[in-house]
Amino acid sequence: MTSRRFWRRNGATGWALSAPATLAVIGFLLIPIGAVIAGTFMDPRGVFAPYIAYFNSGFRTTVLFRTLQISAITTIISLIFGFMTAYVVSRAPGKLKSLLIVAAVFPLLTGVVVRAFAWLIILGRNGILNQTLLGLGIINEPLEMLYTQGAVVIGMVYLFVPLMVLSLVGVLENIPKDVLQASSSLGASPMATFWQVLLPLAVPGLIVGAVLVFTGSFTAYATPQLLGGERQTVLATLLQQRAMVSFDWVGASTIAAIMTVITITIVLAMSHVARRINPMAT
Amino acid sequence: MMSDRPHFLLIVVAALVYLFLMLPLVIVVGAALSDTTYLTFPPQGLSLRWFENIFEISAFRRTIITSLQIALLGTLIALLIGIPAAYALNRFRVELPKWLGTLFVLPILVPEIVFGFALLKSFTVGTGAPIFLSLLIGHTLIVLPYVVRVISASLASFDFSIEEAAISLGSAPVKTFFTIVLPNVRAGVIAAFILAFITSLNDVSVSLFLTGPGISTLPIQILAHVEQFFDPTVASVSVLLMFLTVAVMAVVERTLGLTFLAK
Amino acid sequence: MTQPLALQAVSAHYGTTKVLEDLSLSVQAGELVSLLGASGCGKTTTLRLIAGFLTPTTGSIQLGGRDLTRLPTHRRDIGLVFQNYALFPHLSVLDNVAFGLKQRGIGPAERRKRAVAMLERVGLAVLADRAPGALSGGQKQRVALARALVIEPPLLMFDEPLSNLDAKLRVDMRVEIRQLQRSNGTTSVYVTHDQEEAFSISDRVAIMNAGRLMQFDRPEVLYRRPANTFVARFVGFENIIPFKVVARDGDRVTAETAGMILRLSQAAYGAIPDSFLLATRPDGLVVSTDPMAEGLSAQLGLRTYLGRAYQYQCDTQAGHLVANGSLTTPLEAGTSVKLVPMPEQCTILPADGAR
Repeated sequence: MTSRRFWRRNGATGWALSAPATLAVIGFLLIPIGAVIAGTFMDPRGVFAPYIAYFNSGFRTTVLFRTLQISAITTIISLIFGFMTAYVVSRAPGKLKSLLIVAAVFPLLTGVVVRAFAWLIILGRNGILNQTLLGLGIINEPLEMLYTQGAVVIGMVYLFVPLMVLSLVGVLENIPKDVLQASSSLGASPMATFWQVLLPLAVPGLIVGAVLVFTGSFTAYATPQLLGGERQTVLATLLQQRAMVSFDWVGASTIAAIMTVITITIVLAMSHVARRINPMAT
Repeated sequence: MMSDRPHFLLIVVAALVYLFLMLPLVIVVGAALSDTTYLTFPPQGLSLRWFENIFEISAFRRTIITSLQIALLGTLIALLIGIPAAYALNRFRVELPKWLGTLFVLPILVPEIVFGFALLKSFTVGTGAPIFLSLLIGHTLIVLPYVVRVISASLASFDFSIEEAAISLGSAPVKTFFTIVLPNVRAGVIAAFILAFITSLNDVSVSLFLTGPGISTLPIQILAHVEQFFDPTVASVSVLLMFLTVAVMAVVERTLGLTFLAK
Repeated sequence: MTQPLALQAVSAHYGTTKVLEDLSLSVQAGELVSLLGASGCGKTTTLRLIAGFLTPTTGSIQLGGRDLTRLPTHRRDIGLVFQNYALFPHLSVLDNVAFGLKQRGIGPAERRKRAVAMLERVGLAVLADRAPGALSGGQKQRVALARALVIEPPLLMFDEPLSNLDAKLRVDMRVEIRQLQRSNGTTSVYVTHDQEEAFSISDRVAIMNAGRLMQFDRPEVLYRRPANTFVARFVGFENIIPFKVVARDGDRVTAETAGMILRLSQAAYGAIPDSFLLATRPDGLVVSTDPMAEGLSAQLGLRTYLGRAYQYQCDTQAGHLVANGSLTTPLEAGTSVKLVPMPEQCTILPADGAR
């Protein structure tokens, strides 16, 4: 009898149970971020003054475009290699498949700092790659690989390829096997099945993976900081500098607002697209 | 017995991708074992001196402790508020609005670095709260989405009629939750704990702003160290973290099977 | 274009488990053969072997003189209808049907013409531009059927095609499938676990159990003259009683089971071996209150109402039997009766027929 009141389907219990988490997210995340963004519109110089200042600065617009560019390149490379790898993993026999999945999970569980640091050892002026190339006599003096856009992209791809592989393995395994079998029973060669059935069915998953990687690299801090340095300043490192080095809080808030708006817009737009073209949803 | 196998070239590409994933980690381990005062690979003269060095540098000692404290406390709090939320989302799916589920994903949807900065500006500076508390709140929130998502996934495959059966047999609802529901999603709780703990331990973007005199986390300390010194200490700290990851994965393998993490 | 299919001594293993053992089966051109059995009997494995999703460990598969055994699926030219329809969710109904034609290098205009014509045959031309997700189960199955038929395959296979449909639709669809198959004269293999479905639709039925073929014959023969106890039980011979012949007098045979004597006529039952099993359906044992009747003595137990008769659980010295009695005189539990076998509802199995 104690249970009757509890199970009344009015959701009050549901609200009560989720209240602590809800309040925590609202109080410590939504309100602080909202306050930061709102703050940028209360500048004594005018409503959009911080944004006008931002886009009037050649350096800061360069940083924005560099960040977008690095994220786009990272996303494309991760998509291509992630998809090919995920395809092979999804087709691997049971034991090998688990092993390959574990091998992709392991780097993910290793921190970003460690993973960026690894490339520091490889790409540094006295790094392993330079030492090897010098030792082999291919080059006469060390290459400047660190603090280039290439270094940042490599570090980012390294960061996100495992994520892409894992999410695409999930996508590929969700494609019903009998649909692929139907295709080959109707005379489609493995190539035709790939292009005409598998790939179109994987597109929504590819979009989701691309969004994950794009927003992830768009807001990454440790990798561009270690591998790009000041020469390859991106939005995240600029935000940190403005806030913690220059104590320019209005500038930092503006960057935070720009990052948030771009991220949320991309996530919402692309998940809408992914849902609309998802043929498996009925 | 299955006959279709991916194209040879695809297998080569996949093998190269895995090499690309593994090699840098192998190099870090090698560098950590080197006897030299600079980073090199293959290691020249094997030695564990750089591991000892970690604990001789007080900054590392302190931050390791802080990181472990924050990760443990943050994860426990996240479980404490996240499990009821995940349960409510599943049990009262019809009654609760859809946006509530989205709300719990927000901490990983908004850029982490923006969250860290906002917490510093609006909360820590605004209220004068202690750094440790801010750090704890920040970490609790960034691991909350993992907790809610993983436990929701477990609950999604839980048959709630079992719970109703227990209640119809006279078990009180709260007792039923602990004796019937929770044991059935135990795997999810363990996975959530591990995922949250590791995420917290590795976090950079939020901790970046929430450190102050005397309080910092290990990843932030590593970043600072790398920018000043180029010796193998950081490599050995990295190896230590990797060992921790391996240990955790071994525990997962024992309890749940490793492919669980891929879900 | 219609061709015979032959499986010769086909075996298949998953690791060390044998799922199919030494199966030989030949399907004549234009014939519809069902593979019938419970799950795990090997019927689906057989279909997947023919389709090429699995490769047999030993044995060969031939279609109209072509050896399929090592041929990849997409070169086998077999029309397949799947249990879950397996329609391409990203293609319209029309493009689903045209898919196989496209793989055969047929141009867009011709493809469209043939696909539309095929959709008309299954009565779905109006839905040509719909997405498969928007169709009902029955419509989906018709599209799947059209997709398999339009490529005019020499062999058509069905993998439990009706099991996801409701009972009424199932009956309509199986008539439709049979009509399409007849008019095209396509050799067909039909996998099902539903006995009524298999018997109603097939020219011949192969009953399978534990990876082996138990009996392969026309439905009428299987139903009336099962070859062994497995098939007998499968088609509803619930009572199987072991007998030994004690005397022969021309046509009359006297047999004994557990101390009870029964006289049988070989004219009615066919040749009776010295040691045999009498298999009957519940309808094949008449419940008689006449103590002089030529039957097995029994005590009635639980009575249940079947609508067309009462069914009794009976205790006899030969064990537990099930018999049906008339509706006019319901009998109480504990009544002593005679159970009289009706030859037309019984069959004689050799005693070693227990496989």
